[in-house]
Amino acid sequence: MKARIARRLAGLLAVGLLGAGLLAAAAAPEAPPSPLTPTERARILAHGPWPPPRALDAGNALAGRGEAVALGQQLFFDPRLSPDGRLACASCHAPALAFTDGRVRSMGRAELDRNAPSLWNAVHARWWDWDGAADSLWSQALRPLTDARELATSGAHLRTVVEADAALACRWRQATGRPPPADDEAMLVHTAKLLGAFVGSLVSARTPFDDFRDAVERGDAAAMARYPVDARRGLQLFVGRARCHLCHAGPTFSNGEFADIGAGFFLRPGVVDPGRHRGIQRLQASRHSLLSAHADDPGEAATKTRHVQLQHRNFGEFKVPSLRNAAATAPYLHDGRLATLADVVRHYDQIDLDRLHADGERILEPLGLSVGERADLLAFLQSLEDPLARRWQPAPPAPCRQVPDRQ
Amino acid sequence: MTGTGRACRAALLAALPGLLPGPAAAADGGCGPRPEVRHRLEATSARHRVVFVPQPAPLAPGRHFGLDITVCPRGGASLPLALRVDADMPAHRHGMNYRPTVRALGDGRYRADGLLLHMPGRWRFSFELSADGRLDRLSHEVDVE
Repeated sequence: MKARIARRLAGLLAVGLLGAGLLAAAAAPEAPPSPLTPTERARILAHGPWPPPRALDAGNALAGRGEAVALGQQLFFDPRLSPDGRLACASCHAPALAFTDGRVRSMGRAELDRNAPSLWNAVHARWWDWDGAADSLWSQALRPLTDARELATSGAHLRTVVEADAALACRWRQATGRPPPADDEAMLVHTAKLLGAFVGSLVSARTPFDDFRDAVERGDAAAMARYPVDARRGLQLFVGRARCHLCHAGPTFSNGEFADIGAGFFLRPGVVDPGRHRGIQRLQASRHSLLSAHADDPGEAATKTRHVQLQHRNFGEFKVPSLRNAAATAPYLHDGRLATLADVVRHYDQIDLDRLHADGERILEPLGLSVGERADLLAFLQSLEDPLARRWQPAPPAPCRQVPDRQ
Repeated sequence: MTGTGRACRAALLAALPGLLPGPAAAADGGCGPRPEVRHRLEATSARHRVVFVPQPAPLAPGRHFGLDITVCPRGGASLPLALRVDADMPAHRHGMNYRPTVRALGDGRYRADGLLLHMPGRWRFSFELSADGRLDRLSHEVDVE
C-alpha cells in the first residue's frame, strides 16, 4: 500500500515537473539573436540598399518612357495578341500571384517545359529565361510571343490587331512616334520592346528585411529589434553556415548567373532540358541579341553577350532566381518540382551530391540543419516579401491624344 | 588547375609590339602604376612582374570590369609575345562565366575586358605569358566581398 502511494506520488511529481517545465518553456523569452559579426554585417549590407538605382531594359529605346510603359501594360493583358484570342502574357504571369501562374509547369496551348518565373524586379537581372537565352527583357518577350505552344503570334497578326483598334493604334503612335511598322519582324520587335518597357517598370517595394538591413547600416538597435528574431537567426544562417549568399547575392538576392543544384534535368523520360548550355547556344544564334541590329544602342550592356563563354559545366545549370517575393511564387525551381519554400530549404539541407555535375563547381553540401534552423531560414525568406507584391493592379489606360508621327 | 579550371581559363592572345623592356618598367625598378596607387595588384614570378589595376575599382562581385595591366620582365627575360588572363575560385572549383579579351597597348601595357566575378569570396587572377619560347604562369589571389 505504502509502495503504491509512493509510486502515485512520484508519478504526480513527475507530471507536475513536466508541466512546470513546459510552462517555463512557453513563458521563456525567445533566445536572443547573437550579435552580428563584422563579416555578417558586411554580407547583410551587401543585400541592399533597396530599391537599387533605376535600371532600364537594355537595347530598348522605348524603355522608361511613360507612354511605352502604359501601352506595354495594356498589351501584356490583351489576349488578342494570340491569334485565337486565348492567351495573353498575363495568362502565365498573374499579378495576384506575384506575376507567376502558381502551376508546376505553365500551361499555354499545351503544358510547357518550365515553371513561370515572377516578373518582379526582372529588369535587375542579367539574363532572362531559366536558361538565360535572352540578354534583354524585350528579346525574352519574343520567345513566348512566337512560340507555337504559347501566344503563337506573328508580326502580321499584331499589326492587324493594332490597326483594327483606333485607341490602340493611337497609343501605338503616341508611344513609338510612328504607325505600326509594315515589316513583320519590326512589328514583333516593337511589340516586344513595349512589353519590355512595361515589365521593366515592375520593381517591388521594400520589405521587412530592407528595414532591418538599413537599421544595421545606421546602427539603429531599436529599429533592428523590430525584425522578427527567427528571421534574424535565419538571415545569419543565410550569410553564414548555409552560405546561401554566394549565389543569392546582392540586393536582388541573385548573382544573375546559373547553377547546378542537383534538381535533375529530365523533362520527361528520354527528354533532357540542358539548361544554360543550350541557353548560351540559343543566345549566340539569336537574331535579336544585344549584338544584333535590332538592339538600340546597348552600350556597355552588351559586354555580357560579347564575353559569355559556353562551358561543359553549363549543362544542367539553371538561373539563380531572385529571392525577393519568393514566398509568393510557389512552386519552385525551373521545373516547379518543389511545392513549398520549406521543400526548397529541405532540398538544400539534404542535398544529394551524387546528383550534381561530376566536373561542376563544389559549393553545395548537406547542411544538417535542425528543425528550428530550417524554420528560421523559412522565416527569413518570408521577410523578403513586399507586402504589396500580390496586390498590384494595372492602371486604366489614359485617353489617347493623337500626336504627329516622328520624322 | 582542374579540368574545369582549364576550360574556364580561356583568354585571347594579344600580339606583342616589342621584345625589349619598355617604359612600363620605371627607372627606379618599379613596374606600372606606383605602389601607392589604390587597388593596384601584383603577381610576380622569377621572370616577370605583372601589375594590374581593375577598372572600375574596387573589385566587386557581380559587375563587369576590365584590367589595366603592365608586364615588366625580370632576370633578363623578354616581354611576352602573348598574354592570357583569367580568374577562378579554387575553393569552389569554378572559373568565370565570361571569356576576357586582351589588347596589347604597347610597351608592356595591356587592357583586358569582359571579366566578371560572379560570387563573393577568394578569387585567383591568372596570367599566362609566352616569352622566350616558354610559358610563364603567374597568379594572385584576392578576397572580393
